[in-house]
Amino acid sequence: MPPQRLPHPASRVALALLGAVLVLFIVGPLLRLLLQATPASLAAALADGELRGSIVLTVLCATAATLLALALGMPLGYLLARSRFPGRRLVQGLLDLPVVVPHPVAGIALLLFLGRNSPVGGALGRLGLEFVSHVPGIVVAMLFVSAPLLASAAREAFGAVDPRLERVARTLGDSPWGAFRRVTLPLAGRGILAGAILAWARSVSEFGSIVILTYNPKVASVLIFDRFTAYGLPAAVPAAVLLLLVALVVFALVRLIEPRERT
Amino acid sequence: MIRLEGLSVRAGEFAVRDISLDVPEGGYALVIGPTGSGKTTLLEAVAGHVPLLAGRVHLQGADVTDLPPEARGVGFVYQHYHLFPHLTVRDNIGYGLARSRDAAPERARRIAEVAGLLAIEHLLDRSIRRLSGGEQQRVAIARALAPRPRVLLLDEPLAAVDPATRTMLRRELRALHEREGITTLQVTHDFDDALRLGDLVAVLAEGRIVQAGRPEEVFRYPNSAFVARFVGAGNVLAGEVRHAGETTEDGRFKARFTSGALTVELVAERDGPAHVVIRPEDLLLSADPPPTSLRNRLQATVERLERLGPVTQVHLDAGRPLVAAITNQTAEELGLRPGSPVWIGLKATAILLV
Repeated sequence: MPPQRLPHPASRVALALLGAVLVLFIVGPLLRLLLQATPASLAAALADGELRGSIVLTVLCATAATLLALALGMPLGYLLARSRFPGRRLVQGLLDLPVVVPHPVAGIALLLFLGRNSPVGGALGRLGLEFVSHVPGIVVAMLFVSAPLLASAAREAFGAVDPRLERVARTLGDSPWGAFRRVTLPLAGRGILAGAILAWARSVSEFGSIVILTYNPKVASVLIFDRFTAYGLPAAVPAAVLLLLVALVVFALVRLIEPRERT
Repeated sequence: MIRLEGLSVRAGEFAVRDISLDVPEGGYALVIGPTGSGKTTLLEAVAGHVPLLAGRVHLQGADVTDLPPEARGVGFVYQHYHLFPHLTVRDNIGYGLARSRDAAPERARRIAEVAGLLAIEHLLDRSIRRLSGGEQQRVAIARALAPRPRVLLLDEPLAAVDPATRTMLRRELRALHEREGITTLQVTHDFDDALRLGDLVAVLAEGRIVQAGRPEEVFRYPNSAFVARFVGAGNVLAGEVRHAGETTEDGRFKARFTSGALTVELVAERDGPAHVVIRPEDLLLSADPPPTSLRNRLQATVERLERLGPVTQVHLDAGRPLVAAITNQTAEELGLRPGSPVWIGLKATAILLV
């Protein structure tokens, strides 16, 4: 469709002004923070062993959470896209629930569910899997907030693949798994990958639930909060800059992988 | 050979019930029916994609009812092609060969062979997205044929292409079938497909087969008003049959059929409410009263004329609307115009009671 001309020049100016306010509001603070990234301050941040360790921990936990989300979210996404079962709409609605649950609330809920005094947490604890104030707690908190994103992305990506393509593959000799691997997955792969990167980024940026479940060892966002409350703004900035750069790289990746609207 | 025994399937809002059909080895059968009569569901059931409520499916003598689709050896072509968009034309055609134990050169040879059969060699390295509808359909047929399936199942293969391509593809399908001799079952809503392609046609209505036989036979002797209308057999009138003479030894009698203001004489076997089918070419038009050897001599008025190639369709009012088909030459000789009076002659035996 050709772009439509707005009727009044005055209304165009008004829309442009209001739009500009929002764009500046997003770009301004981030730019302000990036300007702090002088070579000297970055060098100092990279020399900070605790900060380096916390970023590595964040990236590793986010990667683990994303892999878990892939392993659990893809099957659920496929099921939701392909089969009609009782309670399907309910499950679909539940996937959207974590978006509306405030993250500290999610942290409290996870703490109650996985704490050593709960049946589930107690049982897993006896198997040697500790969550509270342990690395698995970070992964679980990240999984809780990011897995629904991935499952929804997978559901949409699988839903966009016509089931008749799988049927054709079956008549051409493929087993159900073969048809999935050779047809469905390649066609849905891009959308699922974009969902995975989104889930990863969501995990890296998580704070509210992690701070309640596992304050130590500190992920990057908790460390930034800790430095800020203990030593003030100047101490928090180098860590914030570094985390922002990691987030921007991921953002660029998502934009590269996302299916383009035109072509 | 395809043998369906009492097949019943339910898939969403479509259901087919108690379908029995025998397609001999090398035969070409068509199941025709209006949209929503369950045709695609029937084909998917033969391919093994949807569970059966009842019935058995035999392909080439083997009972495949309990086999998954990949073990049935069927080639399937959908109306909207359903080519794999992430693969080239070559990889689409070769899809069913990729698992075979044949060496790569053998697979390449088969791809080239099938592409040759459908005259699409020049498209092999193209992406699917840059093919016309007719080209896509050729690729879909080639893909289905490449692994040498036992039977070929075609779901409205001609419905989504333009009329010129349809005529050409139809001719090619028939030629391909004659060359390859593969047993084929096609579903369609177009009776022209059945007349031009099939050895056998089955008419599906609301999930059941209401008539099956040779296409010309079904066209000439539809067994119900539904089939007559669906195959376009001509004038279908609802009315009532009454005795007009003695019943002979074979149970037949002279009768009158009345539909509105129109009454014709015919030979009947039963009386009461009925439909008659009168083929347009059996209505003989003349300016003067027809000879008395013709049982039915009716006066009518021309409503409008429609030229269809060498034939003119004359829409008449004879108490009931009737359509006659005459040559363009006859139409000119009679000087027919809308509003002209005209005589209709009709043999009693040309009226089919259904």
